[in-house]
Amino acid sequence: MLRAAIKGVFANKMRLSLTAFAIIIGVAFVAASFVFTDTISARFDALLDTTATGVDVYVRPAPPETGDTFQNAEFGSIPESTLETVNAAPGVRIAEGGVVGFAQIVNKEGEPVGGQGPPTLGYSWSIDRSMSPVTIHDGNGRGPETAGEVVIDANSAKGNDLAVGDTITVLTIGAPEEFTIVGIASFGESDSLAGATLAMFTLEEAQRLFDLEGQFSAISVAAEPGVTPDELAANISATTNGDIEVVTAEESNDEQLEAISEGLGFLNIALLAFAAVAVFVGAFIISNTFRIIVAQRTKELALLRAIGATGRQVTWMVVIEALIVGFVASAIGIGVGVLLAIGLGAAMDAFGLNMPEGPLTLLPRTVIVGMAVGLIVTVISALLPARKAARIPPVAAMNEEVARPKRRSLHIRAIVGAVTVGLGVAILLVGLFTSVSGDLWLVAIGALVFFLGVSIMAPLAASPVAVVLGWPLPKMFGVAGQLAQDNTRRQPRRTASTASALMIGVALVVFVAVFGASIKSSVASSVTDTFPGDFSVQSTNIAVGVSPTFTEEVRSLAEIGDVSTLKIGNAVVEGSDTLIVAVDPETITTVTSIDVSAGAFESLAETDGILVLESVMDDNGWSVGDSIVIVYPQDPGGPVEIAGTIASTNFGEFIITESSYAVGFSNPTDYYVFANGAEGVALADARTAIDGVAADYPNVKVQNKSELIADAESQIDQMLVLFTGLLFLAIIIAVLGITNTLALAIIERTREIGLLRAVGMVRRQVRRMIRWEAVIIALFGAVMGVGVGLFLGWAVVRALADEGLGSFAVPTGQIVILVLLAGVAGVIAAIYPSWKASRLNVLEAIAYE
Amino acid sequence: MLETLPATENAAHIRGGTKIYGEGGSEIRALDDISADFKRGQFTAIMGPSGSGKSTLLHTLAGLDTLSEGSVYIGETELGSLKDRDLTILRREEVGFIFQTFNLIPTLNAQENILLPLSIAGAKPDQDWYGKVVDAVGLSDRLDHRPSELSGGQQQRVAAARALVSKPAIVFADEPSGNLDSVASGELLDFMRTAVREFDQTIVMVTHDPIAASYSDRIVFLDDGDIVDEMIDPTPDSILEQMKHLGA
Repeated sequence: MLRAAIKGVFANKMRLSLTAFAIIIGVAFVAASFVFTDTISARFDALLDTTATGVDVYVRPAPPETGDTFQNAEFGSIPESTLETVNAAPGVRIAEGGVVGFAQIVNKEGEPVGGQGPPTLGYSWSIDRSMSPVTIHDGNGRGPETAGEVVIDANSAKGNDLAVGDTITVLTIGAPEEFTIVGIASFGESDSLAGATLAMFTLEEAQRLFDLEGQFSAISVAAEPGVTPDELAANISATTNGDIEVVTAEESNDEQLEAISEGLGFLNIALLAFAAVAVFVGAFIISNTFRIIVAQRTKELALLRAIGATGRQVTWMVVIEALIVGFVASAIGIGVGVLLAIGLGAAMDAFGLNMPEGPLTLLPRTVIVGMAVGLIVTVISALLPARKAARIPPVAAMNEEVARPKRRSLHIRAIVGAVTVGLGVAILLVGLFTSVSGDLWLVAIGALVFFLGVSIMAPLAASPVAVVLGWPLPKMFGVAGQLAQDNTRRQPRRTASTASALMIGVALVVFVAVFGASIKSSVASSVTDTFPGDFSVQSTNIAVGVSPTFTEEVRSLAEIGDVSTLKIGNAVVEGSDTLIVAVDPETITTVTSIDVSAGAFESLAETDGILVLESVMDDNGWSVGDSIVIVYPQDPGGPVEIAGTIASTNFGEFIITESSYAVGFSNPTDYYVFANGAEGVALADARTAIDGVAADYPNVKVQNKSELIADAESQIDQMLVLFTGLLFLAIIIAVLGITNTLALAIIERTREIGLLRAVGMVRRQVRRMIRWEAVIIALFGAVMGVGVGLFLGWAVVRALADEGLGSFAVPTGQIVILVLLAGVAGVIAAIYPSWKASRLNVLEAIAYE
Repeated sequence: MLETLPATENAAHIRGGTKIYGEGGSEIRALDDISADFKRGQFTAIMGPSGSGKSTLLHTLAGLDTLSEGSVYIGETELGSLKDRDLTILRREEVGFIFQTFNLIPTLNAQENILLPLSIAGAKPDQDWYGKVVDAVGLSDRLDHRPSELSGGQQQRVAAARALVSKPAIVFADEPSGNLDSVASGELLDFMRTAVREFDQTIVMVTHDPIAASYSDRIVFLDDGDIVDEMIDPTPDSILEQMKHLGA
C-alpha cells in the first residue's frame, strides 16, 4: 500500500502541487511568527548579556503595581539620601545613583526624533563607566561634564545626520532647551537598544530636567570581590525601608526580557491569527483536491478493491498520500517561514524599529508546531474523501455509471449545517455581548464554527445560486454559456467547497471594511459631539503627552479663552489593570462634551472620587455612592467613591480628577489639551497664536475639528489597508483553489470536451465555457462572503456600540468593487485551465479512458 | 484500384493518404498511400482486422486527425489546408458523428443534445427537418430526458439524430452499434439506412460486425493501411465468406 501511495503521489504531482502550496503558505506563516518572535527575544537576551555591566544590584523604588513602565512613562524615585544607606551596607564596592526620564531629541529640521514605537529616554551619565551599558567608542567624543552638554545614541545620530559639536533641542516635560552634543554613544556593538533614543546629561542637569532634584530613579551597586549579587542584595535590603526595592541585576534583566516578551507575544498572536486564516482556507483547498483525486481515480481504486484490497486499506492509501504531501509541504513551509521572518525583520528595520543584530533562532518547538499544523490539517482535510474512497464498490471498475457518486439526501446536510451555523452564531454572540472571560477566544471560535456551518450548507445553495448568477450566460454565449452554468450545478458539493474557500477571505475583507466604515462614520459625529471646542492638542510621542509648560503658555495667550486638559494612565481598579482618565471637572465641560449623568462632574469635584462607565457599573453591580478600590503606580491609593456614571464615551471606562492623578502618577504631561478661542477673537487669530506656541514644541500637534476627523480617518484607513492586504493572501489562495478545481474538473470532462470539439465547438467557445464556470464559482463565493462579512461586521459593531464605535455603516461602494474583483479573479483563475481545455487534442480526448 | 468519380459526386475522398506514427525503425504506417471515394447518398462500411487502419481512415476523413502525406476532401474542401477554427466550423456544418460510446453531454436532455451542433453555431433548426428526424429515430416522447434516463440504444439514436440534424455532407460512425444488444442495434442501423435511402444522407461506418455491415450499400476492406477489397450490396453470408478469405 505504501508503494502504491508513493506512486500515487508522483502520478498526481500536478494535482497535489496546489495542495502543497496551500500547506506551505499556512505553515510558513506559523513558522514565521514563531521564528521572528523567538529571534528577537533571543537577540535581546544576547544584547542584554553582552552589555552586562559591572552592576550587581539595583536599588530602586518599590515597583509600580500597574501598567508597564515602558509604555506610560511612569518613573518612580527614591531620595538621594538612600545612597548613604546603601554605601553603609557590607559588601558594597561602588554605588552610584542615576535618573531616567523622558527626553526627546529634535533634529536639525525641527522634527522630533522617534516617539512612534520605542521610547525616547533621557539618562544621567554615570561617572563610573564600568557600571554603564553605554559606551562611547574612540573618536565619538566624551561624556557630558557640564550643564548644556548632551550625549545621544548612535542610531539617532546616524539617522539624523548629527555629530559631535552640533546643537540640538531636547524636549522634556518642561520647556524645550538647547544642548550641545559632546559624544555619541553605542549600546555595546549596537547603535541603540532596539530603536530607543537616548539623551544623556550630567546628573544635576538630568535631575533638573526630569523634575527629580534631590532624587534618584535608581542606585546601581557593584559588589566587592567575593560577594555574590544575592548576598549584596540581602545586605542592602536589610538597611532599607518598604518604599525601596533591591533587586539583582539578573532579576532586573529578566524583568526587561519579560516586558519585551509580552510585547512580542501580541505580535506573535497577531501573526498567528493570519496564519490561522491561511490554514483554514488551505483546509478547504486540500479537502477539495483530495475529493477530486478520489473521484478521478475511482476506477483505479475500484480495481484495487476488486482484487481484494479492503476499504480500510484504500482509505489508508489516500491518507498516506496526504501524509506524504503534508510532510514535504510542511518541511518546505518551515523553510519559507524562515525567509518570511527575515523579510519581517527587514520590514521592521525599514520602519525604523531597529532590532538588535544576530542570528535567526529556529527552535525545535517551531519545527514541531509547524510540521504538526501542516500534517494535521492535511490529514483531517483528506480524511473525509479518503473514507469515501473506501466505499467505492469494486464493480465500479467495470461499470462507468456506477462510478458516478449518487446524490445523497441533502436533508442531513441541511440539518447539520443549520445546527452548526446556529451554534457558531450563538458562541459568537456570547463572546461579543457578554463579558465572560476569554471572550476574544469565544468570538474567534464562534466565527470559525459559523464559517464551517455556512460552508456545510453551501452546497444546498449552489444549484439555485448558479441559476441566478448564470442567468444571462445562455443568452450571451449560447451553448458555451449554458454548459458553463450547467457544469457548476453538476457537483454542488465541489462547487460550494471551492467557493467556500473564497468566501472566507471575502467575508473577512468585508468585515474589516464594515468595521472601518462604521468607525469612520462615527468618527465624524463623535468628534463633533465630543469636541465642541475649537482646538485639540496632542503629543506625537505615543509614550508621553504634552508638556505642562506648553499648556501654561497657551493659557496665558490673550487670544485663547477656555483651556482644559485630560491625562491618562494605567491603574489597578478593583484588581484589574485598566486605563483611567483624569480631568479637571470644573473646566472640562467648557471644551468637551462627555456624556455623564446629571451633576456627575460637580459630584466628582466635591468627592474627588471616580466616574464609571454605565455598562461597567452594570457588569459589576456597582451603584453611585459605592466605594471601589484603586491602586496607583506612585501611590497605594485606596477606596474612592463612585460620584456618577458615564453614559458613553471615547475616553475609556473611568474618570478621576487631576488632583487625584497628581498624587497617583508621576507623569505630569497632558494627553489632550483642549482650548477655545477667546470671546470676540477671530478663530484664525486664535489659531495663529496657539500655533506660535506650538512651534517651540515640535512633538506637539494642534488640530481643529476637521483636522482631528481627517487624522482619525487616515489612521483608520492605514490600519484597514494593512489588514486588507494581509487578508488578500487568503483570497489569492482561494482563487488558486478555483484554478485547481477547474483544472481537475477538465480532466474529468475530457471526453465531453472532445465531443464538443468534434461536433464543432471552436477553441474560443471552450475557453468561454470554462471561464464563466470559474466566474460563477467566484461570484458564489463572493456573495456568500459578503453576507457573512456583513453579519460579522454588524455583530461586532453592535457589541462595541457603547465603547463609542458608532453605528453600523456599510461601505457599499467597496463591497461592490470587491464582488466585481471576485469576478475578475474568476476570469484570471480560469486562464490556465481554459487554455488547457481548448488545447486538448480532439481525438485523444474522445478516446480518453 | 477503384473508379475515381468527379469531385461533385463525392461526399468525401482521400488521395494518396499516408499516416505514420513513430520514427525510423519503429515507425508504424497506419495508412499507406490509400485512395478512396465516398459517393453521395451511399452507406459505406469499412471493415478490417484490428490494426488495419480503419479507425485512422475514419478519423482523417472526418478531420479529427491529420495525414502525414496525401490529401483528404470533404466535398471540395481540402482539409489539410484548414486551420483549427475553420476545420472545427467545417465539422460543425458538414460532418456528423456517431461514436461507439459517450456521444452525449450528460447535462443536456435529448433535444438539446440533438440540436447541439446548431446551438454551437447559434443557428435555429429547421423545424420540419428536426421533426422528421426525431420521428424517424422514434424519440418524440423522450426529448426531455437526460442521457442517464435513456437506454444505451436510445442514447445511440439520439447521437444519430444529432449527426443528421444539421444536414451534413457526410456522417461518420465508429462502431455505433458496438455496445448495443441485437434489438437496439437493429433499430439504430435501420434508422441509418433510412437516413440514406429516404433522406439522401451519406454515411461511412467503421465496424467489425458483419450484421451491421450488411446494412450498408458497399463495404471497403482494409488491411495494413490500404484497401484490399470491396463489396457491393453485401449480405451477412457474403461478408463472412469475404472475411474468411481475407484471413480476418
